[in-house]
Amino acid sequence: MKPPPFDYARPRSLDEALATLAAHGADARPLAGGQSLIPLLSLRLARPSLLVDLSFIPGLASVQAENGTTVLGAMVRQRALERDAQVAQRLPVLAEATRLVGHPPIRNRGTVGGSLAHADPSAEYPALALALDAELVVRSASGERVIPARDFFVDLFTTALAPGELLTAVRIPVPPPGTGWSIQEIARRHGDFALAGATVLLRKASDGTCQHAAIALFGVATRPLRASAAEQALAGRPLTSEAIREAASLAAGWIDEPLSDVHGSAAYRRRMAEVVARRALEEASRRAGA
Amino acid sequence: MTLQVLPRGKWLGARVKRVEDPRFLTGEAKYLADIVLPGTVHVAFVRSPYGHARIKSIDTSAAKTMPGVLAVFTADDVTALPPLASGLPVEGLQPTPQPVLAKDKVRFVGEAIAAVVAESRYLAEDAAEQVVVDYEPLPAVVDAERAMHPDAPILHEELGTNIVYQKTTTLGDIEGAFAQADRVFRRRLHTNRFVAAPMETRGCLSVYERASGHLTFYSSTQMPHMLRLFLALFLGIPEHKVRVISPEVGGGFGQKMTIYPEEVVVAYLGKVLGRPVKWVEDRRENLAAATHAKEQIIELEAAVRNDGTILGLKARLIGDAGAYSFNTASALIEPLAGAGLMPGVYDIQHYQHEVIAVCTNKAPVGAFRAVGWTAAQTARELFFDEIARELGLDPAELRRRNVIPPERFPYTTCTGMVYDSGTYRESLERALELVGYEELRRRQAELRQQGRYLGVGISLYVEPTAWGSEIALQAGFPFPSHDNATVTIDPSGKVRVAVSVHSHGQGHETTLAQVAAEILGVSIEDVVVEHGDTDRAPWGMGTYASRSAVIGGGMVALAAQEVREKVLRAASRLLEVAPEDLDIQDGTVFVKGAPDRSLSMFQVAFAAYLDNRTRAEGEEPLLSATKFYDPRATYSNGCIVTVCEVDIETGLVQLDKVVAVEDCGTMLNPMIVEGQVMGAIAQGIGGALYEEMAYDESGQLMTDTFVNYLLPSATEVPPLTIEHLESPSPVTIGGIKGIGEGGLLATPASVAGAVLDALAPFDARIERLPLTPERIVEALRSSESR
Amino acid sequence: MATVPITLTVNGQAVRAEVEPRVTLADFLRDELGLTGTKLGCEHGVCGACTVLVDGAAVRSCLILAVQAEGADVLTIEGLAGDGLHPVQEAFWEHHGLQCGFCTPGMVLTAYALLQERPSPSEEEIREALAGNLCRCTGYQNIVVAVRAAAEKLAGAR
Repeated sequence: MKPPPFDYARPRSLDEALATLAAHGADARPLAGGQSLIPLLSLRLARPSLLVDLSFIPGLASVQAENGTTVLGAMVRQRALERDAQVAQRLPVLAEATRLVGHPPIRNRGTVGGSLAHADPSAEYPALALALDAELVVRSASGERVIPARDFFVDLFTTALAPGELLTAVRIPVPPPGTGWSIQEIARRHGDFALAGATVLLRKASDGTCQHAAIALFGVATRPLRASAAEQALAGRPLTSEAIREAASLAAGWIDEPLSDVHGSAAYRRRMAEVVARRALEEASRRAGA
Repeated sequence: MTLQVLPRGKWLGARVKRVEDPRFLTGEAKYLADIVLPGTVHVAFVRSPYGHARIKSIDTSAAKTMPGVLAVFTADDVTALPPLASGLPVEGLQPTPQPVLAKDKVRFVGEAIAAVVAESRYLAEDAAEQVVVDYEPLPAVVDAERAMHPDAPILHEELGTNIVYQKTTTLGDIEGAFAQADRVFRRRLHTNRFVAAPMETRGCLSVYERASGHLTFYSSTQMPHMLRLFLALFLGIPEHKVRVISPEVGGGFGQKMTIYPEEVVVAYLGKVLGRPVKWVEDRRENLAAATHAKEQIIELEAAVRNDGTILGLKARLIGDAGAYSFNTASALIEPLAGAGLMPGVYDIQHYQHEVIAVCTNKAPVGAFRAVGWTAAQTARELFFDEIARELGLDPAELRRRNVIPPERFPYTTCTGMVYDSGTYRESLERALELVGYEELRRRQAELRQQGRYLGVGISLYVEPTAWGSEIALQAGFPFPSHDNATVTIDPSGKVRVAVSVHSHGQGHETTLAQVAAEILGVSIEDVVVEHGDTDRAPWGMGTYASRSAVIGGGMVALAAQEVREKVLRAASRLLEVAPEDLDIQDGTVFVKGAPDRSLSMFQVAFAAYLDNRTRAEGEEPLLSATKFYDPRATYSNGCIVTVCEVDIETGLVQLDKVVAVEDCGTMLNPMIVEGQVMGAIAQGIGGALYEEMAYDESGQLMTDTFVNYLLPSATEVPPLTIEHLESPSPVTIGGIKGIGEGGLLATPASVAGAVLDALAPFDARIERLPLTPERIVEALRSSESR
Repeated sequence: MATVPITLTVNGQAVRAEVEPRVTLADFLRDELGLTGTKLGCEHGVCGACTVLVDGAAVRSCLILAVQAEGADVLTIEGLAGDGLHPVQEAFWEHHGLQCGFCTPGMVLTAYALLQERPSPSEEEIREALAGNLCRCTGYQNIVVAVRAAAEKLAGAR
């Protein structure tokens, strides 16, 4: 189980990396933490001709606070995020989600950008990016563009990134104080990819009705989903258990074609989507300040 | 000194730290993959991507021109090698030998078709991708019952059927038992195919010296001497010119007791290429092509009185054999062993079993800890739980009413097993007490009111151990036994123990040294145990089936005892007292009652080798003895109780604890006994909840990585409580019984029983293992709709 | 494919080498440096047998290419103790935290990394930290006990 041959580039600047990617087109692949890519190489399921290692580029691994926004460099290691005081305070849902990503040795290497760009439908970060209305900052030799998370995840392991483009950062609007949050997932074992997962951000109006709900599902479809119908159904309504049940049911119904594999059929995943959506809504509602 | 009871002083029975550990802890230990010889070349196998296909042609021309490639071998290049077939003569079992490289047909995903030899494993894998095989895919059959159907695809056309064995045996008055029954119950269980998955995969290294004609073969094997014998026969090299070295072995659990096609091919490649040839199996190969285990479809029918007495039992056991029966009657081992142990610890005199073995397009079956018994125990214990529920009896009470009472030992089962001794009822009561059974039942009722579902599962078991020739026959297999130990004291007084049993994690270097040290009166530090190298260890069967504590312990005790007598004789001449008046402690031979009249072991040994005064006329002066031991059958027992909580919405199971009370007779080292039990329990948890080799209808293997084949980790195994009972065997040396398998024999039933107990309010029925979240949710849903 | 020069530190020793880009750090340590204490159990990042420390963090050496370790400080099982055993190794020995020994180097290094970060972990934290390392022999319990004992040993030594 050994990787096939490929060439390797170790750019020392972002421009150098972008130039290298531009020169090699689709045959080149950026290498971030490698925790998903390298097993694919060893299993010979991926065959890039060139790996462009992003680890030696300065400036891609910072966590920065701008007004109301947290900016995570693409090469921020998951473990660093897990331990980051600012993230813990401003984005507790992200800190908690990070603890669900694999195991510590994986998080020691795995990066925020790598996980987003890999777009595993069962991964936590893409769903969080959706729920948090994050923006993905993308660079190429011809410039920069910003892609809203809702447009970024296209299909199974497929994003809006074009050949030659590199995800360099993700901008996350920090939810206002009082926002309730939750991430719930069902996995066969601790650290496994989710069979079904949901993350929720919820704000209540002063009368206790739902002012804002963001519900994102993962592990259930070929890409993470925002359950818009469920979100709309909750808007302006009191967050009763009945309203939450209805929303969870709408969320599960929102899935077009659930994933199916050896660990869980499509039918099971759809049912579990409802369970995790409900549980996440309940927990977020408890956490939300009125 | 009689060896019925072994001395228990400083060493025997003590929690001695393992002498082998430092080399593992520091990374110094050398496993197969770690052995580096100059000039070594590496093998990658080309394996079938189809479950069933005809091979129309194989084109190796491109692969042969790849960089670093020495050779590509296909079936046509190894015609000298015979196909592998079971050597065990079991009447009625159709032979289904496996060619070492597939020739005309492939019958499971992962079957080896070609061997590519290159300067590195990287290059060998590159070239293996360039071997072009033209397949004609055939319909596959992956379900044993479907494979029995007349219009199912047939794996071995020459047989005209996939059924390779079918036999019904009636014991006692089965019709009478059913005629007297108040109730008749039925249950079906399809146990999952799961695998040993040792952390170290298989591997071997073949080194042939052309000038001398000597083959040195390194292999991660549990049976070095058997491997030597068969390599000699297959390769046509005289046995005395074959040396097999089993280096450190990273777990076996039965998977490495088989002589595999890959081993024979690699040995041959070493011989014909004249370079050391190494193959280190990767995990995908291991999951696809090393032997699978434990899959049976079992149907049970019980004749029961209203008071819970089981009057009679009928069983139909269908073993899913996979594609070939290439080792030790492998198609049959699961259902036949399962049929024999089906009555278990219960007093059942009327029993009928039908044993069927069926070929399917899946990997061949082999041994894995508690062969056949895991499935039988699981089916029967879950069945008994169900019967208890139907009768309104507590499942513990149903067991009490049927368990063989202590006054009946030795007890001969209707299947011919002779249970020598045990603590069947006591282990049940003790396990219930430890787990707090009554309190748990109260708690269970309370939690149900809150919509939480706690479950308790009981698995009461007996475990055939000490796999010598007698117990093998009692278990249904004419399996030979031949084992011996040589104990030698060197001139400096240090002790060498060479044994034919093999350690791949069991700690023989410690336990067998404890036996020798105790009997010889020396420190364990003065004893070294040698095994695994056929040039240094005596000929024998190796290690499997919980045999090494009994057989290894027994033969070492016998040999050490004889050497002790020699030491005492030599010392008696030097000290001028009778040997009976001497004793040995802490490496000093002394006159009983006059400890100042003494000699060190060094002095006695030195003199025995080099001082003629110690030699009597006609007596062998050698401080060495070789002793053979083929024990009588002995049976361990125990009870495993699991407590769990089930989330009925998601089907996720949270294990709270597992309590195991075990009785393996005299313990050589309780710490190691506990290690065996705990490790086997974890495997049983895997078997009950996580592990399953899944194939799709086309014969495709869905679980060929550790991403899909799920082993339990530290977060899935709950706190384990182990308690010992100790009823020494009346029939073995020292009263020792084996301990290797009980945990895996009994835990799946205990864990699955706990889950089903939690679901009892819903009348949820489950016929397949493992209990995945989805299966649990599905069972709950279908119970709702009933 | 062209080889790439790398410079790194392994067990305190400076190492310079030319490697093919596709060679994993695990294979580099084992085949080029002869440090075979690092084990390969799955080569796809699940079993944890190949765990080493890179710049103080436990990582899977089968999921890192040797070329990525440029400039890194790598610690393998061979470098954990000088002569004798590290307290973590001692605790594994005393509490029978190993049987076949194959997962042991990875387990020991994972435990060591945990205790570096969290000197007094709870049982739950120990189990979570070890959950990425598979063992097929022990059932984990004695490993958990050993890690707790190692924590106490190390606390006593401070």
